[in-house]
Amino acid sequence: MDIFLERLFDGVTNGTVYAIMALALVVVFRGTGTINFAQGEMALFTTYIAWALTTQDVPVWAAALVACAVGFVLGAVTERTLIRPVRRRNDMATLIVALGLFTAFNALAGLLFDSETKTMPGLFPGGQEDYFAVAGTRLYFDALGVWLVVAVLIGLVFALFNRTRLGLHMRAVADNPESAALSGVRTGRILMLGWGLAGIIGSLAGILIAPLSSQQLSLTTMFPILIYASAAALFGGLDSPIGAVVGGLAIGLLEAMITGYVDFVGGALQQTAALVVIVLILLFRPTGLFGTRQMERL
Amino acid sequence: MSLLKVTGLCAGYGPARVLHGLDLAVEPGEVVVMLGANGAGKTTTMRALSGLIPHTGTVVLDGTPLDGLGAPEIVAAGVSLVPQGRGTFSHLSVMDNLKVGAALRKDADGIAADIDTWCGVFPILARRAKQEAGTLSGGEQQMLAVARALMSRPKLLLCDEPSLGLAPKIVAELFEVLGEVNRTQGTALLLVEQNADLALGLASRVYLLEVGRVVAEGDADRFRGDESIRRAYLGL
Amino acid sequence: MTTTSAKPPAPPAPAPAKGGPVLTLVRGTAKHRAAVAAGPLLALVLLYLGSGLEPFRVGQLTSVLIFAIAISGLNLVTGYTGLLSIGHSAFFGLGAYTTGVMIVSYQVEPLLTLPVAAVLCFALGFVVGLPALRIRGLYLALVTLAVGVAFPELVKRFADLTGGAAGLVIRSRQLAPPEWTGLGAGQRYLWLYWVSAVVLILVIVLVRNLTRSRLGKAMVAVRDNELAAASSGVHIASVKTLAFGLSGAVTGLAGGLFAMYVGALSPDGSFTLLKSIELITGLFLGGAATLYGPVAGALAVVFIPYYTADLVSGHFSGILFGAVLIAIVFVMPEGIVGRLGRTGRRLVRIESPPQDLPEHPTPRAPQGDASEK
Repeated sequence: MDIFLERLFDGVTNGTVYAIMALALVVVFRGTGTINFAQGEMALFTTYIAWALTTQDVPVWAAALVACAVGFVLGAVTERTLIRPVRRRNDMATLIVALGLFTAFNALAGLLFDSETKTMPGLFPGGQEDYFAVAGTRLYFDALGVWLVVAVLIGLVFALFNRTRLGLHMRAVADNPESAALSGVRTGRILMLGWGLAGIIGSLAGILIAPLSSQQLSLTTMFPILIYASAAALFGGLDSPIGAVVGGLAIGLLEAMITGYVDFVGGALQQTAALVVIVLILLFRPTGLFGTRQMERL
Repeated sequence: MSLLKVTGLCAGYGPARVLHGLDLAVEPGEVVVMLGANGAGKTTTMRALSGLIPHTGTVVLDGTPLDGLGAPEIVAAGVSLVPQGRGTFSHLSVMDNLKVGAALRKDADGIAADIDTWCGVFPILARRAKQEAGTLSGGEQQMLAVARALMSRPKLLLCDEPSLGLAPKIVAELFEVLGEVNRTQGTALLLVEQNADLALGLASRVYLLEVGRVVAEGDADRFRGDESIRRAYLGL
Repeated sequence: MTTTSAKPPAPPAPAPAKGGPVLTLVRGTAKHRAAVAAGPLLALVLLYLGSGLEPFRVGQLTSVLIFAIAISGLNLVTGYTGLLSIGHSAFFGLGAYTTGVMIVSYQVEPLLTLPVAAVLCFALGFVVGLPALRIRGLYLALVTLAVGVAFPELVKRFADLTGGAAGLVIRSRQLAPPEWTGLGAGQRYLWLYWVSAVVLILVIVLVRNLTRSRLGKAMVAVRDNELAAASSGVHIASVKTLAFGLSGAVTGLAGGLFAMYVGALSPDGSFTLLKSIELITGLFLGGAATLYGPVAGALAVVFIPYYTADLVSGHFSGILFGAVLIAIVFVMPEGIVGRLGRTGRRLVRIESPPQDLPEHPTPRAPQGDASEK
């Protein structure tokens, strides 16, 4: 029972981070119709910025704010300068630009901050003694903190989408860009803001996961997160924010349980398991659980 | 002065030129219909006028040139298009559809009042306010699309084949409402219609398009009466 | 409805190219034949000159040849068929590990492992191509990504066979050149250089013939307009799966050669997603859907990191790769060879001899009114 609860807590913690990373992917996909393969590496880059600031005695929450701001600018500028000009040409051009960004941001992080593993301070107390006991299992404060931050963030994003004019316009552009333009919505600006928002969410995902990750903050921290988040986003439906959240939690729990209880997978095939999920969804239920968009566009 | 004055309009898709110097004008408060065969350039004209595709030539609304403006700027200037095939937001609620239609307006009270107005004109919209637009019938979606376009309070409403795929009874209802909007709000209408008889009933003036040019224009009465024109151009 | 008015004016005839061709060659004449023969001759001379360089340089050139083969494989599916694969590192890896495992565990003669590597990679490619029947674009890229990311994990999982994370080492004795070549054990680099060169030449001939065959034309048709291809009788399913299979086989061959070239394999070394991105960069930089683009691309992906490595650690070449990849999309989507080819066609025109001219019907002026959609 104890070990089960421990795995459950682990799964929820990872799952919440996958959920928000998936949310970032969904926000971009709804507007632009592409998966931003570079989302993880952009988040890695801003997380490194946050780490660098904490080494200069900036409080960790302030560093996180700066990283989110940089994430916003990076996302918005990328959409405006690199994605928008090629998006109409074809899928492949956009994907290649995203792959270029993926490589460039990872290498840029390596160049500026070297390849040594960093210790990213957490937003919450992370000591051995900072825990609640739940049915004999330790629920650490830092994990609980991640849950709370993610819950608040998801609440804010949903409030943005459903309670504000900007959110309404974002939904309209995602639904039918031409009609949105015909209604007076400046679709370009909306897409740019969408990428910026994804940049903020991604940065937060990086800052939350780095202190808990077994890899700490290194050049390979974010890539697995991106893979799991892609699986989560596909699982929930690439154009559904609710789907991203549900998918993230599901993938997190599935990962914890499979690696815990299925010997064949163990610690060695974690990513492969997530990828098998991706391929199966693509083949058998391409719209995911909550998605609506027909992905086959002839 | 004309509300809309179009001179030498050329437009197309990539290398394919569809319009070859089209001239037309719409007077304030007037209802004008464009007729023509498939491929004559009616939809292309609508798309060029609403800023969805670039054009050459001049388009002047109320003395202000619209050339080079994007779709949102043209909406701001007072031209609103109901595109062919509805153009509603199928995953947004009916109410949200109407709100998006007012994207450029800042007067919250005015927006709420207009939503009430159009829900009064199209009662079905009030009944289905919370429903996703995609679940509405074709006729209901077309009404929503018209109401959505009117939410920006246009001086000129462009309608691209509003009757397409709708039952005759619904079409009659829709045209009645369009006529009422024109009379009560003074909104000028520029329609594209395949259903010539219906359009001629509403319009006061007609432009006849062929391969990207206006080949004939005149009072709707003349077109209604002239059998030879009807046969030659309208295929009736 | 019918239109009765005058036809629109026909579009103006295309203006004659400025300057015109500098040189006009007529097909079948001695001059033309000489020009056609000059290319391969020049290539052979360059290969021969290359073999005379110091061993380190020959090694570099060998890796260029191997990369050119790998990129040629990718070119089949991504360039000609238009299906982006981010998973070709897996084919490269499967080929390498097939060769490596067969040599190490079963003492098979290295050259004989190459066909096995190709066949296995053909099979893997065929399987990866199956989803392509239902999905395309971004989603297909995700499937190939899955294959590319899973490969290193699988190598580690099946450590008994592959040596796992620790790697697989082929003893150099097993890679020595065969006796009939007259090369000593110390001249392994030369042996591998010529083997790679021969394989590359075979691959280029294969790709050239393939692109002129029915299958090749069907691949291009699928890329340009799948619906139109299907409606004109192209069997989409077999074209896509065959393209993926052949593509995998060719890249797998390169992997096998690579195993012989480096002699030590590790899952996180040359078979990760980064290798895929390297291959993609090489392909698009060199010129997708061109015969010699992969060679130009291979030169770039081997020598750019080499000459920039001194600048600031290895990361600089990563940034450069990313920047180059983005820059190509913006400034030179046709790649180096594509651009050169275009310039070349402007300068040199090849004409058929007059008697071969088919009777051209007078081309009809296209209707000015395109569909309104």
